[in-house]
Amino acid sequence: MFKLFFLITLLSSLLFSQQIDFSSPLNIKLFADYLFCDKDYLRAIDEYEKYLSVFDDDSIQFKIAVGYSAINDQSNAFKKFSSIKKTSSFYDQSRIEMLKSLYLQKIDSSYFLNADLLINSQSPFSNNAYRLKNSSLLLIKNDLPEKENFLIPFENEEKNNLSNFYDLKNDPPYKSEVWAGIFSAIIPGAGKIYTQEYGDGITAFILTGLFAYLAYTNFDHDHPTRAWIFTAIGAGFYAGNIYGSVASAQIFNARVNFDFDEGVKLFLEEKNYFTPTYDFCK
Amino acid sequence: MIINKKYFLLYILIFQFTIYSQTDWVRWEKSDPTYQIEDTFLDRNYDLSIESASDVIVKPVINAYWFFISDVDGANCPFNPSCSSFLAQSIKETNIFQGTLMFFDRFTRDTNVFGRHEHYPRFGKKHLYDPVSLYTLNEEKIKYIPAKTFINE
Repeated sequence: MFKLFFLITLLSSLLFSQQIDFSSPLNIKLFADYLFCDKDYLRAIDEYEKYLSVFDDDSIQFKIAVGYSAINDQSNAFKKFSSIKKTSSFYDQSRIEMLKSLYLQKIDSSYFLNADLLINSQSPFSNNAYRLKNSSLLLIKNDLPEKENFLIPFENEEKNNLSNFYDLKNDPPYKSEVWAGIFSAIIPGAGKIYTQEYGDGITAFILTGLFAYLAYTNFDHDHPTRAWIFTAIGAGFYAGNIYGSVASAQIFNARVNFDFDEGVKLFLEEKNYFTPTYDFCK
Repeated sequence: MIINKKYFLLYILIFQFTIYSQTDWVRWEKSDPTYQIEDTFLDRNYDLSIESASDVIVKPVINAYWFFISDVDGANCPFNPSCSSFLAQSIKETNIFQGTLMFFDRFTRDTNVFGRHEHYPRFGKKHLYDPVSLYTLNEEKIKYIPAKTFINE
């Protein structure tokens, strides 16, 4: 009796084990959806690719592209977005996403060409493309269009920010390298203070003043050797400070450029590059 | 001798646990770890090769300073590259006149102790990053790095 019971238990566990087919396309998709909503995009993409090998599904293709974009693999994101067919309901979204991917890769002629194509199309996102294009104009060296034209595509709440960026781009608060040098030549350290390096400016003034005083007193007390050594060191600090003030103005200007670019990039990131938001995980 | 099947099965089970357990001995083999903290700061390039006229004077002076003073004193310069390395690099990248001016300017920054930790990127745990490329007056070489950023070079 016991043996019979044992055999039945064993056989039933073998026969009825794993009735769920985890590798069925539907379950693969469910698992991929779970991973996608858990923001595990790389593994979700793998699972979605398995699903796509069985079924052709444009929403899955789009989700794969969104996944690549989310992990900042913009090259693959662009390829996947561009594979979305014109008949798909995701076609318009994929075009603006392609533009975002191009922007995040490199702002070049290909990016502007794609932007112009989308702006001149009948796409519901053509104004988004216009806004992205104009914002990215702030990050390149070319001259900007007239302010009124520049601000046309933006909404009222955005216009304030963009207007500030526009003014900063056209008239950045640079420090003049020439003036920095001249200031330091007149008063040692003044050039550094002009470039907001207050500590360095005061230090330069003290060092140059100290060695000038030492040179003066040594000449005054007939110690010419020491006096000339102090003169040489003082002159070194004086000339080095003039040089350093010019370099400091250059670094200040590089910081202004850096802060400006970061500000624009942050603005675009906050605006999600004017792309729509998708709620695949409701 | 009659062997009880139950015990026999149990014996086989336990025996295979014994023989198949911990086969990856490689992971547990003896090793000689070193607990010395590496300090690449003092990896000097004791190079006396003459590439320009200024190297005749500058390189022996800097090498002698490193050997007799700096290496003995320890890594006390707050910057990376250190002031002496800064001088050597700036003369190499520019010329002896410009390099000397850059050195005097660097020495002023070194002497200034006010707020410099808020001002420069960090190099490793102890040093402030202040490369030569920022001061050659070539704007294209300036790669601005915000203060307090950690540099891994």
